[in-house]
Amino acid sequence: MKTDTINQAEVGMSPAQLVLKRKWTDTLRVTLRAVVKVKGGLWGGIFISIMLICAIGAQWISPSDPNAQDIMHRFAGPSLDHFFGTDYLGRDIFSRIIYGCRIAVMVAFGAVTLSSIVGVFLGVVSGYNEGKKIDYFIIWLFDIVRSFPQIILALAIVAVLGPSLFNVVIALAFTAFPFYGRVARAQTLSVKEADYVKAAEAMGLKPLKIISRHITPNIMAPVIVCLGMDMATMIVWESGLSFLGLGVRPPTASWGIMLRNGYKYIQTSPWMILWPALAIALAMIAFSLFSEGLRVALDPKERER
Amino acid sequence: MLKYIIKRALWVIPTLLGVLIILFSLTYLMPGDPASAMLGPRATPELVAELNQRLHLDRAMPVRLGYYLLGVAKGDLGTSVWSGHKVSSLLAEALPHTALLALTSLGVAALIGILLGAFAAVRRDSPIGGGVTIASLLGVAVPDFVAALLLMLLFCVQIPILPALGAGAAGDPIDIAVHLILPATALGIGWVGYLARLTRESMLDVLDADYIRTARAFAIPRRAIAYRYALKNAVIPSITVIGLGVGKLLGGAVFVEIIFSRPGIGKLIVDAVYARDFPVVQGGILVATILFVLANLAADISYAFVDPRIQYD
Repeated sequence: MKTDTINQAEVGMSPAQLVLKRKWTDTLRVTLRAVVKVKGGLWGGIFISIMLICAIGAQWISPSDPNAQDIMHRFAGPSLDHFFGTDYLGRDIFSRIIYGCRIAVMVAFGAVTLSSIVGVFLGVVSGYNEGKKIDYFIIWLFDIVRSFPQIILALAIVAVLGPSLFNVVIALAFTAFPFYGRVARAQTLSVKEADYVKAAEAMGLKPLKIISRHITPNIMAPVIVCLGMDMATMIVWESGLSFLGLGVRPPTASWGIMLRNGYKYIQTSPWMILWPALAIALAMIAFSLFSEGLRVALDPKERER
Repeated sequence: MLKYIIKRALWVIPTLLGVLIILFSLTYLMPGDPASAMLGPRATPELVAELNQRLHLDRAMPVRLGYYLLGVAKGDLGTSVWSGHKVSSLLAEALPHTALLALTSLGVAALIGILLGAFAAVRRDSPIGGGVTIASLLGVAVPDFVAALLLMLLFCVQIPILPALGAGAAGDPIDIAVHLILPATALGIGWVGYLARLTRESMLDVLDADYIRTARAFAIPRRAIAYRYALKNAVIPSITVIGLGVGKLLGGAVFVEIIFSRPGIGKLIVDAVYARDFPVVQGGILVATILFVLANLAADISYAFVDPRIQYD
């Protein structure tokens, strides 16, 4: 591996070893570089970038207002005016797909951020207090939430709180935090025996400070790998919940809502289902290519095969 | 190992207790008064009071929790606010449909996926390996509800050869089977590629192991080595994944049942959510969760049996 950011001592180390050695931002950069080198990882990265650009710049990229109705031209097939055709209210499907990126990214990003913050905090606390009562309590909590089939739990929470963008994020985050928690706990168990943690303890630092300053920064790399993979799942679930009418509220352009509308007109207007289905599939392919690249880049055994 | 199994099985009890507490506290998250929320805007005060009393909603929280746990322990999951039927009998009616759907799709997918993966590993230089990777990528890429919609679009609308809605007439095996094809495919298609890839990878590892080389030195036929010696160990990761996957499968069944309008636990839960019929939602989720917990338990235990090298303390 030849990169300018690595000093002499680290030449020849695998990204996995670097993870243990370097600050997590450096690790991230080195890892990303390795991912892009894996066949497929680059394509995943490109697709994800396009999606992010669409999400951020939806109002400049999309040719028309996603909610502008044109009743005269409803159920139109693809044409130069409407690249992907129009839906049952004559809204431009292409624009709605682009705005749908924004919802997908927002929900997925919000949910993984929230759940990883909660999960990592609980996981680190539990790992640091291994064998104590609080450790058992947190493990119990993780196991309870993990016992539910995830999407069904999310469905129940949204059903109780009422469907909205914010509640979808809360529900998805709640179903996912134990997974981050378990990764963080396992990492903490190995990191807390390190000399620098022992040194910090000997200096009399408070546990909370040790956790936040010395442990958490050193366990972030595997958590970030999980984040990447989880984004894809969250995108699927957001559209799933919206498809059931228990997600983002219409008229917001969400891929799930578009599928829901398409389902109603499946007999007459196949375009309404095809485009959002394709968008979801592309997003999934992008994320799985990317996380596959991530896995290969972090696993030295894989790289030899 | 026995000690591990007992410990693992006993852990289910506090976990399920926690599950019940969460399901119970969900009622507290409902905005406003749960009784009037369930009965809708046209509820009279008498009806609300009656429901409050019937569901013990007028009592203190610990008392209600006690009633709830006691009821569940006795197998009483309450009655549907909407139809007045017992939740347990609604679930008993729905469960066989979901079980048939889930077991068919998982069974067929596991059989095809594992054999395909093993085959791809044995012929490691043939294009089948690449094919398996691409198939698994596509399987992951198309979530079950999108697959269901696309299959419906293709085989019910564009080329109408398969029935779109329902579970088929009861007592007519052929009709039931025909109605099962599309939903089971939608639910299982992702698993084929996933299991194939998993098996292929672990099979590649196993085929490099010393004991396989020894077997080869003893001139045991290639096919016997691959499918009798190697596959047994290569299948271990798939077992865990299937155990964990039951949750995903039940989640997928929700969508597939809604889309194909099949009776089942998933449709029961979602319809109850729409109707704000909370006892049914609670009961449905409880049953789905118990199934998931038991599947995980079974996977963990079978894991211990299949691979005796694993040590537990």
